[in-house]
Amino acid sequence: MDFTYTEEQEQLRSSLVSALRRNYTLAQRQDIVASKDGWSPAVWEQLTELGLTAIPFSEEVGGLDGSIVDLVAVAEIFGAHLVAEPWIPSTVLAGGVLAAFPDLPEARSLLEQIAAGEAIGALAHEEGRGTPDPALITMEAERTGEGYTLTGEKRMVLHGAAADIVLVTARLDGELALFIVDGTAPAATKFTTIDGRPAAHLRFEATSAKLIASEAEARVREALNRAIIVLAAETVGAMGALLEQTVEYAHTRQQFGSPIGAFQVIAHRMADMKLAYAKSRATLLHTTAVAEAGQPSAHDIAVLKTQVGRLGRSVGEAAIQIHGGVGMTDELPIGHLHKRILTIDALLGSAEYHARALGAPRAAKVDGSAGDERQPSTTEKELFHADI
Amino acid sequence: MDITPDSGLEEFRSEVVEFLDTAPTPEILEAGRKTTSVFAPFEQVMAWHRILHTRGWSAPDWPEEYGGPGWSVEQRYIFATEYQKRGLPPLLPNGLKMVGPLLMELGSPEQKDRYLPGILSGEDYWTQGYSEPAAGSDLASLSCSAVADGDDYILNGSKIWTTYAHHANRMFMLVRTSNEGPKQAGITFLLLDRMDYPGMEVRPIIGLDGAPEQCEVFFTDVRVPQSGRVGAENDGWAVSKQLLKHERGGGAQSPMLRHRLDVVREAAAQTPSAFGGFLADDAAFQRDLGELEAEVSSLEHFEKLAISGHPMVKDRAYPSLNKILSTELTQRISTLMTDVVGLDALPDQRDALSVGSDTEPLGDDLSLIAMPYYLNSRATTIYAGTNEVQRDLIARTQRP
Ligand SMILES: Cc1cc2nc3c(=O)[nH]c(=O)nc-3n(C[C@H](O)[C@H](O)[C@H](O)COP(=O)(O)OP(=O)(O)OC[C@H]3O[C@@H](n4cnc5c(N)ncnc54)[C@H](O)[C@@H]3O)c2cc1C
Repeated sequence: MDFTYTEEQEQLRSSLVSALRRNYTLAQRQDIVASKDGWSPAVWEQLTELGLTAIPFSEEVGGLDGSIVDLVAVAEIFGAHLVAEPWIPSTVLAGGVLAAFPDLPEARSLLEQIAAGEAIGALAHEEGRGTPDPALITMEAERTGEGYTLTGEKRMVLHGAAADIVLVTARLDGELALFIVDGTAPAATKFTTIDGRPAAHLRFEATSAKLIASEAEARVREALNRAIIVLAAETVGAMGALLEQTVEYAHTRQQFGSPIGAFQVIAHRMADMKLAYAKSRATLLHTTAVAEAGQPSAHDIAVLKTQVGRLGRSVGEAAIQIHGGVGMTDELPIGHLHKRILTIDALLGSAEYHARALGAPRAAKVDGSAGDERQPSTTEKELFHADI
Repeated sequence: MDITPDSGLEEFRSEVVEFLDTAPTPEILEAGRKTTSVFAPFEQVMAWHRILHTRGWSAPDWPEEYGGPGWSVEQRYIFATEYQKRGLPPLLPNGLKMVGPLLMELGSPEQKDRYLPGILSGEDYWTQGYSEPAAGSDLASLSCSAVADGDDYILNGSKIWTTYAHHANRMFMLVRTSNEGPKQAGITFLLLDRMDYPGMEVRPIIGLDGAPEQCEVFFTDVRVPQSGRVGAENDGWAVSKQLLKHERGGGAQSPMLRHRLDVVREAAAQTPSAFGGFLADDAAFQRDLGELEAEVSSLEHFEKLAISGHPMVKDRAYPSLNKILSTELTQRISTLMTDVVGLDALPDQRDALSVGSDTEPLGDDLSLIAMPYYLNSRATTIYAGTNEVQRDLIARTQRP
């Protein structure tokens, strides 16, 4: 186990980068985002052809049997290039949750479609001002003669209005359960997020749903923790792009007869950006390695989400400030990258929330999950004695 | 300064309250609620400016001889506070706080007669044409040229970041009239009495928040009268320095920031915390809010000293101190605002944000404005001279 990408992963990354540089410039991306659906089926097809929708799933369902490291390797690049296609909602969130139930035939057939990129999935999970902890989900499921109904609202569902497969978390007899909406989708209020992703609030009014799994909390939590790692990788990718573009700009932009990067205050600010990036990326790679070896602890996840949210924000703000007036425009990637970081920060618990969770007394378990002790978990111990 | 209830100002306060409670139209109130910048929505804020003018209250800081109400420092403070409490749109600063006071000091009698009434009444909007693509912080390196030709100047070049130039009917600008000697010595300050001279083109720029607030203005052989010059030819640097003092030091920001903070405080009382209860009961949130409360109070005290003419204002560093204090606090408050709103800050609600829009907002007022306000506030540490440059200026005043 090491913290570098394999040759194969590097190859995939560089072909992905060159494809995006060619076909997904900011101008092209902005046209896609402004189009009626807000994403491009043609781009989606290319991503599917590259196998990106199949990465994390088992070969049985047509997947590539890839690891979380593969997902992270791709997500960094998607973050840097502001990809708006529904890879996060379909492959990572909906697919990730379904893949947590390999024993269920129902989940397998859905996964086949998701892995092939034929159906697009969405996970309707967040409620109210956010549900960083799945234990906070309040939507109730009701048993009816034929099956189940759901009533209530899910908010900020990425790709929620256009998905073929809508998975929903809700309480059944007090326990967290996973449902799939049956037939027509619930009433959707569509919108675009500030970082250009199509999303929706979904209103369920005795909407009939099929039960996929009851008593699903532990597995949903694990799947969400993995999704947080992939989301964090998008942030880290965006941070890297902000750093690179800012350094380049600061060495070209002249004021008072010298490049602004020569002014100490700007140079130091860019040094701080690099420190923030280094901390975040190290934390990402560590957490990814732990996740590949087993399950990351609640502590690992909270550390990662805190760092990328907080440090990501600081990097974006510094990038805008160093760019001056042009940093405030819609024409440069800078502001869009910052908005992607802000969006990810608000999903599945903000930095503010996760930092509070980390600072809470150890005895008071934040999320009721196991493995949140001060000592490193077994997998971590093993990791540090492995070939690092 | 004494504004305690027994200071004899209660009658004044009720007069102000009565007017501010009744005069603004629903559109003006909506514009106030949807203000996410120091620049309020144009049409409504100018309409409000004209209403205030009919009451004689459009320029509380102006001397009476130019149409100010002749208020004491205390009265001005009370007015500003009651104004902000109601979330009314702040009047646009370019005329009232920049070019107006400048003309009072340095304008010719003809220029004063010609331009001050339109600024006071809200008939005119002046855009500020200083910055250029290659001249931002290093303003003196500007190159937009003015060549004398008979009674006119012929202008060539461009300006950028001109706020609301697409709404403006007038412009004050800096132009290069000479390339001799140090670069500061060849600059002239010019007033344009129209924006539609042949050869002039205005192109809006879309900002981070998705709104066109700044513009680019291009000049190709534009012929303008020399009578628009303020001060002598090539003396524009001194003139502009005078104006910058008004831009950076002008007006109290604390009443507006206090209003924003109060809005956040109220919202937190209704916002569930992920740890149970409400955000307002959350110790971490209380500490963040408490710190900002203390900061707003200090700014308030600082600004009160300033408007009461305390010697601190004579400090050469004062405009820069004021600029940094208020802008960095603006950014911190806007950040807390997005934290409180949480997930609801994420939908792009540009359409619902325009005044009179029939697009329903997805949530409450705060979730509509939090993100655009946060994004727009990023500019406060950039415009009117970046905060890096302001810190340099402060440092320079500290050299023995
Ligand atoms: C929203 C907005 C509204 C504006 N409105 C107007 C307007 O109405 N009219 C107008 O004329 N202009 C306006 N401006 C322009 C504004 O004044 C300039 O953006 C500002 O002066 C900075 O210039 P710049 O953008 O070229 O950045 P640059 O000067 O290129 O600065 C880039 C970065 O380098 C830093 N830097 C530059 N020099 C130094 C130094 N010597 N030491 C340390 N750091 C340095 C800056 O602090 C900044 O972080 C506006 C700008 C914005 C963003």
